[in-house]
Amino acid sequence: MTMNRIVLISGIVIAAALVVVLFVGLGKDPSIIDSPLIGKPAPGFALKAVGTGETIDVARLRGKPAVINFWATWCGPCYQEHPVLVQNARVLGSEVQFVGVVFNDTEQKIQAFLADRGSAYPTLLDESGKTAIAYGVGGVPETFFLDKNGKIVAKYAGPLTTEELQANLRKAMQ
Amino acid sequence: MIFLFVLSLLQVQVPDAQQFVGPPKGVPISGAMLDQRTNETASLLRCPVCQGLSVADSPSTMAQDMKHQVRELLARGYSQEQILAYFERSYGQFVLLKPKFQGVAALVWLLPVAALIFGAIVVVSKAKQLERGPEPVADAPVEDPYLARVRELVEKS
Repeated sequence: MTMNRIVLISGIVIAAALVVVLFVGLGKDPSIIDSPLIGKPAPGFALKAVGTGETIDVARLRGKPAVINFWATWCGPCYQEHPVLVQNARVLGSEVQFVGVVFNDTEQKIQAFLADRGSAYPTLLDESGKTAIAYGVGGVPETFFLDKNGKIVAKYAGPLTTEELQANLRKAMQ
Repeated sequence: MIFLFVLSLLQVQVPDAQQFVGPPKGVPISGAMLDQRTNETASLLRCPVCQGLSVADSPSTMAQDMKHQVRELLARGYSQEQILAYFERSYGQFVLLKPKFQGVAALVWLLPVAALIFGAIVVVSKAKQLERGPEPVADAPVEDPYLARVRELVEKS
């Protein structure tokens, strides 16, 4: 085989590999980061609930599937998602525990948001952002689904619809 | 009232690095060294809400929270390796600006080296080929009868 032929074949192989990598990469949403926490116990935290001042420990969520929703009042898509969560929490409240965790925000703004748009579950304030970091939150809203043993079974990035919420809850209820 | 407020703050617990990467392996640092090590470590972490910026360079609140946590962990004596492992546990390898030499990420290190070696081989072999000059024509006729006749006539004249 001549040198020119070797160079040509190698070039074709490299270009084909590049096309495959680009094809696979372009099909993925770059804002979605796969969570390495799936299948692991939810990082422990105990945070103060907005309004009541009650401290809620994540360990208290065990025994029932749980939904931990990270959000903030400055997040546009969170306005779209909030009614979905409130509505589902009202319907599924006896079977599933819902908790909101707000970071990079103020208690005053959160209280105004909840007074205006309704609330059906505790909203906790993560003042230092450490809880969000421990959960690998890369943007809001992000939602984690825990099974009854406190293990993370799914993560959803972006505003949830009822269908997406219930599809992920089914994983948590298995 | 103040007592109840302090009590409620004491009850608040955020996830701690010790829970995930164990006790500190280094020594607590402070002052200028703490500033320097904070910047060094934060520059190895990707800001998760930015496009291609490190935690050290990003002005976002999320990156500032992460940088603050890096500083706090270094001050407590956590090593750079432990801190990177702590963030990797939450965000995965995505958060590391310098990918690890393992799995598919190893290709990031290996492919440029392989491409460089391949390119060098091509250049060297082409250079040798040029040095040797054009290759002789393989199947040239030994003697053309017409040419032999012409040569014979020239020699006789």
